[in-house]
Amino acid sequence: MPMAATAMDHDGGGGDVVTPGELLGNSSSLVAGRGAYADGRSVRASVTGRRRIVPPQPGSSDQRSTVEVVGHKAHGAVPQPGSVVTARVTKVMARMASADIMCVDSKAVKEKFTGMIRQQDVRATEIDKVDMYQSYRPGDIVKAVLSLGDARAYYLSTAKNELGVVSAQSIAGGTLVPISWTEMQCDLTGQIEQRKVAKME
Amino acid sequence: MESRKPKPSALVDSYVVPGDVVLDLSEMTNQTIKIGAGLRQECDTIQATSAGMLRLSKPNKYWVESSQKRYIPSVEDTVLGVVVDTKPDNFLVDIKGPNLAFLPVLAFEGGTRRNIPKYEIGTLIYARVVKANSIMNPELSCMDATGKTAEFGELKGGYMFDTSTGLARMLLSSPTCPVLEALGKKLSFEIAVGLNGRVYVNAPSPSNVILVSNAIIKSESLSGIKQRAMVENLLQRLS
Repeated sequence: MPMAATAMDHDGGGGDVVTPGELLGNSSSLVAGRGAYADGRSVRASVTGRRRIVPPQPGSSDQRSTVEVVGHKAHGAVPQPGSVVTARVTKVMARMASADIMCVDSKAVKEKFTGMIRQQDVRATEIDKVDMYQSYRPGDIVKAVLSLGDARAYYLSTAKNELGVVSAQSIAGGTLVPISWTEMQCDLTGQIEQRKVAKME
Repeated sequence: MESRKPKPSALVDSYVVPGDVVLDLSEMTNQTIKIGAGLRQECDTIQATSAGMLRLSKPNKYWVESSQKRYIPSVEDTVLGVVVDTKPDNFLVDIKGPNLAFLPVLAFEGGTRRNIPKYEIGTLIYARVVKANSIMNPELSCMDATGKTAEFGELKGGYMFDTSTGLARMLLSSPTCPVLEALGKKLSFEIAVGLNGRVYVNAPSPSNVILVSNAIIKSESLSGIKQRAMVENLLQRLS
């Protein structure tokens, strides 16, 4: 029984809340749009959200309305090549460091993405003399530029002045304060630790 | 401001436990104190973080000497490792530490891609720790600082056993420790001590190897005189 004819026609996403799999209408009277799919002769929702009907384009051959499911929740960000990401370092090894990407262009991500900072991407000068232990430690928050990388992880690069460690904890548990582009100082004990520091404005 | 001679801590050469305040920095001005293993700065005090004996090297180097079965890798230590795996670039070596150590295949005198040593799993290696920190796997080398082999490399034959790190340090101390001196007067044997708590003994006859190994294991808690008496006792059984 077609239900689409009774759908409310609010602008901007108002309408019944539908869940994945729920029948939205018949494919003879509706086209599956964003968030919906055609399953034989029925059109069903594929995400949770509100049902919305978009009237057909005037002058197009297909005069069926398009049904869309507009999401309740905003989608989390997805890393794009060239974007500046904020990541937390998880592992430091001899030639690379692993990091969990937390924000893409200042928007938080909803699921875990893994990034890798290779030894040659830590800084722009003297890239074969980089000591990973003096650049990053597990737990540091870094700002980096993302590129697509390989099947296992995105590649992150901190080879610019404004990229690198923005926040870190010292061995004694205090906050590290940047004092140069290679050194940070603990605010509890005064000990100096080496990092690849981001230049903050 | 005149610089005073730093007053040594009252706990030097006595046993400390984690949490003991070794030095109060608020009472000292304008002095440099160097702290080593087992000590940590907590705001204005230096506290012990491991149990052991507090040592001072004049004028201002403090550290805690402790003896454990576990080994914490430290740069420039000479250790005895066992090969557990081979990779294209490194041998993976167990040195009784929290992580496996990497021994680069080129870290040998005159090492090139053509003459990589063929170490199988289980090979005993005497090596030097080159890189060690809390987050990465330690790195070893079979060369000394000038690039020569020295005594590093594979140890063949013989017998290897585990000891505590404290006993290993005692065996390496100079002047020669009493048990080794007493054994050396009557027997001929070859010994390699790793600071990671491993000892390798080799001698022409198996009974000598067993005797030397047992003497070393028993000598850990004995004083110098008792060590010599114990060795005398063991040697009588041989003759």
